[in-house]
Amino acid sequence: MAEGSPARVWGMRLTYLVLALVLILANLIPLDTRPRNWAGPDILVALTFAWTLRRPEFVPALSVALVILLADLLYLRPPGLWAALMVMAVQMLRSRARILRDQPFMTEWLAVAGIFVAISLGNRLVLAVLMVPQAPLGLSVIHVVMTLICYPVVVMISQLVFGVRKAAPGDLDRLGQRI
Amino acid sequence: MAKDRSQGDDYLAPLKRLLVGVLVLCLIGLFLVWRVDSPRVERFRAAVVDRVVPNFDWAMAPVTASVNLVRDFQSYQRIVQQNQDLRNELQKMKAWKEAALQLEQENARLLDLNKVRLDPRLTFVTGVVLADSGSPFRQSVLLNVGSRDGIVDGWATMDGIGLVGRISGVGRDTSRVILLTDPASRIPATIQPSGQTAIIQGDNTMSPPIAFLEDSDLVRPGDRVVSSGDGGVFPAGLLIGQVAADPGGRLRVILAADYERLEFLRVLRNPGTEVIRDPGGLIAPVVQPSLPLPLSPLDEALSEAENTDG
Repeated sequence: MAEGSPARVWGMRLTYLVLALVLILANLIPLDTRPRNWAGPDILVALTFAWTLRRPEFVPALSVALVILLADLLYLRPPGLWAALMVMAVQMLRSRARILRDQPFMTEWLAVAGIFVAISLGNRLVLAVLMVPQAPLGLSVIHVVMTLICYPVVVMISQLVFGVRKAAPGDLDRLGQRI
Repeated sequence: MAKDRSQGDDYLAPLKRLLVGVLVLCLIGLFLVWRVDSPRVERFRAAVVDRVVPNFDWAMAPVTASVNLVRDFQSYQRIVQQNQDLRNELQKMKAWKEAALQLEQENARLLDLNKVRLDPRLTFVTGVVLADSGSPFRQSVLLNVGSRDGIVDGWATMDGIGLVGRISGVGRDTSRVILLTDPASRIPATIQPSGQTAIIQGDNTMSPPIAFLEDSDLVRPGDRVVSSGDGGVFPAGLLIGQVAADPGGRLRVILAADYERLEFLRVLRNPGTEVIRDPGGLIAPVVQPSLPLPLSPLDEALSEAENTDG
């Protein structure tokens, strides 16, 4: 079956990398250089979580690490910290992906929300302990909330446009075994 | 079902977990190295930005241009109104220009009378904005000029009118400008006409607050804020903006530079201020050579001429 063939898996891994690069660069476009008092959603995080829960094999930890590290470097964030947290979050979601597969979307959303809030808090905590100057709390809260609001949209687009949907019972992986 | 799958990957799973662990440790290690030795990692960051961003300029520039085109197109709807406004403004400006010319002449005359020596004029390099910081938490832009063009960390950056920020992070072809609105920006400033010095402290808002002001009673909304040149990093006298009081009574600066659309920025070459290093020697008579040399025929002739003069 084409669904689990190596070509498709590698193609989708590449698609993830390209999409991530496009999202990162789209944020860099200098359209408005005034400071805003609201923060947009982090589509990259939503995309990574959505794909991890649907097809973990499309988002290996290494590509998540590379993509988020690049974002860290380009966005002037402390390099490495957010990337490490994201890799941990993705691994945590990956281990729960099989359980969440049979649950309604609400449960998945809550799980994503829990993990995202947890790593955002962890990020702020580590930065506070190491006395790194950081963004105002209100802005971070808006950032988290906006990302979570956008999560269903990202899920829908990944399913409709990129065909990243949960493995149905009976799908086979590349070794011909049931997923 | 869970068993079916894990049979094939049984020996791979612990290895994978180990590799992910190593990956996370590497990332955390990088973060800690950044915290301990930030200049080195920041140089690495500048190198990465230098490698990545100019490569994608071909993709980003058209998008930027077309969005700006659409925005401009929207403004065509109000073009008559705008034209009228501009005409009025031009009339006012002409009057101001006349006044400025007269003042400039007067100033030049006075300076000449007083034999004042001014700083040599600043020269600048103009760069195009390639990208912004990309995150709502930091305020910075990337310019397409770098160490190749002689840009050095700490130089001041202006648009046509006012100060925009300072260079922080230089790659070969790119450099980053930390804007005055960034939370990490601190600029020493003087408030005219009272001459009070203060620090303009970026806080991620459109108009940064004024901190460390000695006597806020002497400062009124509308006063001009210029860079003071304290600390030797910035040239003095660059326009930053105007003082305004926010509803809470806190003094802020309304920035003179047009932050809405930063497109071309000037990086001012700062040759650095000369530093006086030694405390100064003793002023004493110069030690004469013990035996005066015999006068040459020419000198004799001169001294004779002097004697006859006297």
